[in-house]
Amino acid sequence: MPTAPESELLTPALLNQLERLELVTRKIFRGQLKGERRSKRKGQSVEFADFRNYVAGDDLRLLDWNLYARLDKLIIKLFQEEEDLHFYTLIDASMSMDFGDPSKLQYAKQLAAAMGFIGLVRADRVRIETLGQQARERTPVLRGRHNVWRMLEQLENIEAGETATLAEGVKNFCLRNSGRGIVLLLSDMMDKSGYEQALRYFMSHDMDCYVIQILSQEELEPDVKGDLKLVDCEDADEAEITVSAPLLARYDRTLKAFTGGVQEFCNRRGMNYLLANTQTPVEQLVAQHLRRRGLVR
Amino acid sequence: MDYIFRNTLGPAAWTAIGLVLPAIFALYFLKLRRTPLEVPSTYLWHRVIEDLRVNSLWQRLRQSLLLLLQLLLVLLAMLALLRPGWQGQRLEGKKFIFVIDNSASMNTEDADDATRLDAAKQQVAALVDQLESDMSAMIVTFSDRPNLAQEFTDNRRLLRKALERIEPTARQTEIRGALELADGFANPEKVIVEENGPAFDAAAPEPVELFLFSDGRFGPVEGFSLGNLKPKYLPIGSPESENLAITAFNTRRSENSVNERQAFVQIANASSQDTSAEVVVTLDGTLLDAADVDCPAGQSTSYTFRLGEVASGVLQAKLTAPAAFKDALDLDNTAYAVLDPVRDTRVLLVTPGNTTLEIALNTERTQRLAEIKVVTPEELKQEELKRQIQAEVFDLIIYDQYAPEQMPPSNTLFIGRIPPLPGWQEESGKEPVFGPQIIDWQRSHPLLNLVELGNVQIIDTIEVDPPPGGTILIDSTKGPIAAIAPRGAFEDAVLGFELVGVDQEGNVNVNTNWPRSFSFPNFCLNTIEYLGGASQLRDSSFRPGKSVELNLVGVEKEVTITLPDGQQRERQRPEKGKFTFHETDQLGIYEVTSGGKTVRRFAVNLFDREESDVPLRVRQDDEDKVQTVESLSIGYVDVDAAQRESPARKELWQWLLVAVLAVLVLEWYIYNRRVYV
Repeated sequence: MPTAPESELLTPALLNQLERLELVTRKIFRGQLKGERRSKRKGQSVEFADFRNYVAGDDLRLLDWNLYARLDKLIIKLFQEEEDLHFYTLIDASMSMDFGDPSKLQYAKQLAAAMGFIGLVRADRVRIETLGQQARERTPVLRGRHNVWRMLEQLENIEAGETATLAEGVKNFCLRNSGRGIVLLLSDMMDKSGYEQALRYFMSHDMDCYVIQILSQEELEPDVKGDLKLVDCEDADEAEITVSAPLLARYDRTLKAFTGGVQEFCNRRGMNYLLANTQTPVEQLVAQHLRRRGLVR
Repeated sequence: MDYIFRNTLGPAAWTAIGLVLPAIFALYFLKLRRTPLEVPSTYLWHRVIEDLRVNSLWQRLRQSLLLLLQLLLVLLAMLALLRPGWQGQRLEGKKFIFVIDNSASMNTEDADDATRLDAAKQQVAALVDQLESDMSAMIVTFSDRPNLAQEFTDNRRLLRKALERIEPTARQTEIRGALELADGFANPEKVIVEENGPAFDAAAPEPVELFLFSDGRFGPVEGFSLGNLKPKYLPIGSPESENLAITAFNTRRSENSVNERQAFVQIANASSQDTSAEVVVTLDGTLLDAADVDCPAGQSTSYTFRLGEVASGVLQAKLTAPAAFKDALDLDNTAYAVLDPVRDTRVLLVTPGNTTLEIALNTERTQRLAEIKVVTPEELKQEELKRQIQAEVFDLIIYDQYAPEQMPPSNTLFIGRIPPLPGWQEESGKEPVFGPQIIDWQRSHPLLNLVELGNVQIIDTIEVDPPPGGTILIDSTKGPIAAIAPRGAFEDAVLGFELVGVDQEGNVNVNTNWPRSFSFPNFCLNTIEYLGGASQLRDSSFRPGKSVELNLVGVEKEVTITLPDGQQRERQRPEKGKFTFHETDQLGIYEVTSGGKTVRRFAVNLFDREESDVPLRVRQDDEDKVQTVESLSIGYVDVDAAQRESPARKELWQWLLVAVLAVLVLEWYIYNRRVYV
């Protein structure tokens, strides 16, 4: 077993934990290369599936010679085909993701690294993209355990400051990647133009979509007091507030309504939704919450 | 407005304080430059604010809660500076004397169920609360005597304690002593005289405020100079108070039947409405008689109960007012009297023959009081009589024209002779003097009570000079001719002149025309009552607070006195003279026991029309028909009653300061934890 690469994003302990996991999809997609994933198709693997009569054109290598010797019939032995899986991670790298401790973006990267590692170890096709990428700007598809360092390098190069809206970013993503597979959207969903349009793009591409809304503690339970002028870091929009208990209660209600709205939207459309607090350790999120959601096992 | 607010600051100070309010406003708006804070997204916040705009006025108020609290704080502080208060005027002066009446009438319960004394104490307490640190006060109480409850002090705790200690009494009212006491403290007459220099007062005269809390049950105080005292009369009580009182209760033998007794009850109605009262007379707790007595408004009525042949016991008369009549004073609704076994005064008259005297001693009145035995000097030598005299059978022995060899153990009256005692013999003249003219006589002495000696002629007399301790009763141009002096437990009275005399030839001559005037039988009656002790037996009722003299001859040395409330006092009977008991503050029956036997009983009753007349005296002003409480006259000064308002000023500023502090704490709290408000 190769030694796990040292990285901020992946700790050895996490790697150990991740080694045992694999990505799951409820939809079974056709992969391009042979992978470690059981496919709908019958193919070549060690796992026996069925027998059938030989017809002309079949690969002679698949004949069961033992049966031929005993029965004098040409029987083909079918094995379960194992395939690879497209695993896309789409990271929102807008300015708003640069908040919190750890920042939401950092948290998103950790999560992407963890999930990507699982994919690489299981020989899936892992591709990590950001919302700000142009339609033609592609990132390489990674496959195999030896590509972990490349994935991490790529993740570490992602920096906050992209200005694309959610819908725009998802649209570009869908244009670039026609292959079906699992897509993991890591974003805070705080887009003033709304998130619904973005999620509908995923729908149209029939992807197994996981939406993980990452919010920092400051957003979930704002620790502010006094008379404040709140400035939006993306568009410099201002909101004047005087903090009081009713105001905070109202914020809490609004936030719950918002996250609840995203969740309901996703659930209705067969997507998975998860609200992640940056204070929750990544390994816990992966091992407990995502496992419960069925993304990994 | 002066009444409610009292300004304590000048215009400059007010201007400074007035500037605080705009300053707070200014500071608040300066502060409202909000701190910018960068957030990931204002997306949610905008939605929150939009919701809040719906009830923006309330939100705005809530947002400026701190401002409002600061303004409230300053306004409260300003209000405190105005010293708001109510009811009353300010105490002015440096020294105060609170004179509190605690006589019987102060037990009256006026409209509310507190006694007048309580009301007075409450008012004084309120005044004490107002004392400032540089003021000192003194508390004096008075009933029939003054009592210094607390000397001048600026310690309010001491004053309050002294005030708590003041107890109601059943005594009469005499303010003069209290005024003199106050005067002694207010006008110190210390004079420093320097050698060959002018005298001047050591203490600078300092005006002293005298607050008099009383219901005014006393007459004008004459010949009293207030000096530095500035009196202020605060009448306690109500002119509408009503009271029914027993003002007299005594027993006597019936005029018709010697063995029958009567009880005489006098009831005074101190109110403006006619009423009737139920009077119940009990003997040792058993009902003897009851009567409904009509009491006209403002007058007194009497009623006589026939008691029949009762021997002895404690009589009690209890008065119950009808329900419609609010009897304000309870003390005077019960009266006590002691019935002693009917025992006559025994008088022995030793005379060679004196018809005038015998007739004068034989009136109907004296017969009721005394049993008189007449003997001649020869008969006095009988053993039987001698034994009776030594056994103190006789209360009084009258020696007419005869002097015994030694004094008997009883009171004596000598007529025309000097008692065989060194004190008398040395002082008095031996030979008769002729033609004395009576100059003066002791009208106040019980022996000469209602005795007029103006035109009494006397032919000859012996000059009578009593031993030390004696009193001259009648003085004449030839010296004293009658005197009285104590002799141990007894008293000896001496008339220097004979009524009738026997000259050398044995003829009976009239020596004086006194027996022909009305005053002579009076004198005889007085003699029997006073020297014979008849008065003491008859009148066993005393006033509360007064000392009681008891003639306890012939009882054991240890005497126990049981007070009406059951307390007991052990006393030693003095060897000679009368026993005096002072603790007579309670109303009721006092029992004197000695050696397990009841020796004497006496009653203490209020019996004072002035004290029972509880409504405040009012003066009707003709012009405006306004009733004002009658003023008091002290010396030459009329002290008007102060307005019927509480002189206590209740001030709020302390509480306002507490409120300011509370607001400050609240503001601090909200500032620090405003997130949660």
